[in-house]
Amino acid sequence: MIVAAFATEAGMREAAAEMRRGDPGFIETYMAMEPCAAEGEGEDGATGGSILPAVMLVGGIVGGVGGFLMQAYATTVSYPQNVGGRPDLSWPSYVPATFELAVLGAVVAGMAGFLLLAGMPRLYDPVDEAACLRGAMLGSYVLVVRPADSARARRVLARHAPIGIDEVAE
Amino acid sequence: MSAPAVIVPAVIAAGETAQSVTERISAVTLREGARPWSPLWWWGAFAFSLGLLGMGVISVGWLFYAGLGIWGIDWPVVWGLDILNYVWWIAIASGGTFISALFFLLGVEWRTALNRLAESLTLCAALCAAIFPILHLGRPWFFYWLFPYPNTMGLWAQFRSPLVWDFFAILTYVLASTLFWYFGLLPDLATLRDRAQSQGLRVFYGVLALGFRGSGRQWRHYRAVYAVMAALMAPLVVSVHSIVGMDFAGSAAIGWHSTQFPPFFVFGAALSGFAVVLVAILPLRVLLGLQAYVTDRHIDVLGRLFLTSSLCVAYAYLMDGFSTFYGPDPAERTMFVLRVFGLYAPVYWGTIVLNILLPQLLWWRTARLTPPLVWGIGLGVLMGMWLERFQIIVTSLARTQMPSSWGQYTPTIWEWSLFFGTIGLFLTTFLLIVRLMPVVAMAEMRAMLRGGTA
Repeated sequence: MIVAAFATEAGMREAAAEMRRGDPGFIETYMAMEPCAAEGEGEDGATGGSILPAVMLVGGIVGGVGGFLMQAYATTVSYPQNVGGRPDLSWPSYVPATFELAVLGAVVAGMAGFLLLAGMPRLYDPVDEAACLRGAMLGSYVLVVRPADSARARRVLARHAPIGIDEVAE
Repeated sequence: MSAPAVIVPAVIAAGETAQSVTERISAVTLREGARPWSPLWWWGAFAFSLGLLGMGVISVGWLFYAGLGIWGIDWPVVWGLDILNYVWWIAIASGGTFISALFFLLGVEWRTALNRLAESLTLCAALCAAIFPILHLGRPWFFYWLFPYPNTMGLWAQFRSPLVWDFFAILTYVLASTLFWYFGLLPDLATLRDRAQSQGLRVFYGVLALGFRGSGRQWRHYRAVYAVMAALMAPLVVSVHSIVGMDFAGSAAIGWHSTQFPPFFVFGAALSGFAVVLVAILPLRVLLGLQAYVTDRHIDVLGRLFLTSSLCVAYAYLMDGFSTFYGPDPAERTMFVLRVFGLYAPVYWGTIVLNILLPQLLWWRTARLTPPLVWGIGLGVLMGMWLERFQIIVTSLARTQMPSSWGQYTPTIWEWSLFFGTIGLFLTTFLLIVRLMPVVAMAEMRAMLRGGTA
C-alpha cells in the first residue's frame, strides 16, 4: 500500500486521475475537510451518493410506526382506560410521541449506519503506519493506493510533487 | 440623497487560512507546553461553578432524604421552581439547535464559527432541564416508570397526557442533541488526535475520534448524515417546545388553557436560546482569543435574531392579554388583572421590561456592536424569561377559578439552592467542554476557507 501526501487538493486529484488511468486498483483520498463533489471521481469513494439518508428514513419509519403501534396496543388491548370519554384508539394523542420516536429512530439509525459504513470505531488501521497520513486531518491531501505495479505507482505519484511518500504493509 | 453605505463586517478576519484555523483552534484546546493546564480565568470560573454544583448536590441529597415537603409547593401552587426551572433550562437549550440546525439548512456562513459553542450550550442546558421533572416526581427512583416497558403490574404510561409526550420529547431531544453534537465533533477530534504531541492526549482524542481519518468514504457518508440530522433537529426543537407549551395548555387551569401556548413557548425558547449564546460567546471570544473567527458580523447577526425573537415574544404577550379579555371567562380576566396589578405584579412588569423593552435597543447597529451592552441585554432577557415562567406557573395556579382556593407560593431555600446548583452543573459541564473540546468547528471552517484566505 503506497501512501502519498500532497500540499494541494488539485495535486492529489491529478495524481489520483493519472493513477486511475493506468491501474484501476484501490485508490482512496484522505483530507481534513469535505471533498468537492463536482470532480466526478466516484472511484475514491469521496463523491457520489450515500445510502445513509435512506437508512435514516427506514429508521424513522420503524421508530414512528413502532411508537404508534405500541401506543395503540397499550391503550386498546393491554391497558384500555376511559380518559374523559375518549375512544380507546384516540390516535391524535399518539402523534407527538410518534413524531419524537420517528426522529429518534432516524438519528440513531444514521449514527449506527455511519459507524458501520465508515468502518468505525477502528482505532488502528495498517494505513496508520504511514507517517504521511498523520497530516491528512491537519491540512495535507493524502492518496492511498494499492497498485498492481508499485514501481510505476511511485513514479506516477512522484511526478505530482508529493510532500511525502510511504509504503506500508497491509 | 442616497443612504450611507453600510459596511458589513466579514465572518472571518482577513488573512486567515485553513491552516491557521487548525493551528489556532487546536492550540486553544491542546495547550501543550502551556502552564498551568488551563488559564487562570478558567480555574476561577470552574471553582465558582463547582461551588454552585456542590450546593445543588447537597440540596438534592436533602430532597432525597426528606422528600418534597422541603419545597414551598403546596395546594394550590403545586408546580413551583422545579417546573419553572425545567421550562427555563429547556428553552435555553434551544439556541444551539436553532443556530446549528436551522441555519445549516439555510446555508448561512456565519453559523460555522458559532455552532460548536452553541451546540455545547444546548447539551449542558438540556442536561439541567432533564433533572427537574425527575426530581419533581416525588419518588424519583421510580422515574423509569415513565418508560413504556413490559412490567409485572400490567401498567402503561398515559399516552394521552402531554406530560408523557414531554417525556418522549425530552428523551429524544437530549439523545439527538448529544449525537448531533458528537457526530459533528468527529473530524475535529481526529484533528486533535493527529496534532497532539503527548501520548496521553493522542489516546484521549484518538479514542473519542473512533478512527475517523478523513477518508473519502467517511466524508461521503458523514456529510449525508449530518445534513439529514440537521433537517431533523430543526423540527425537533420546535416540537419539543410546542409540547412543553402543551404541558400547560392541556390543563384546564386558567391562564394555561390556551391554543397559543405551543408557538408562544417556541418564541420564548428562541429568545432565551439566542440570549444565552450571546451571553456565553461575548466573553469567550475574548478569553479564548477567537476574535478572528467570531467577528462583529456574528454579533450583529445574533443581535438581529435576538431582537426578532423579542418581537415575536411581544406579540405572544399581546395576544395573551387580548384573548383573555376577548374570551368569556371572568376567572381568566380576574387572574390577568391580578397578574398585572396584584401581589406578583413586579414579576409581570419585570418580564415586560427585560424581555420586550430592553431588547428594543438592538434596533440601533451601534448598540448591537457594543458587546457590554448586548451582554447586559442578554443577561436581562435570561432573567426576564425566568420571571415570565414564574408568572405563567405561579400566578395562574395561585389564582384558581374559586377565590376560596386562592393561595400564594414562596420558594424555600432548598428550591433556590437546587436552582443555583443547576447553574453550577451547567457552568461546570460547559467549562469542561470548552476546555477539552475544540470550540470552533475546524473542519467546517476549513471547508469555508477552501483553497484560499479570508
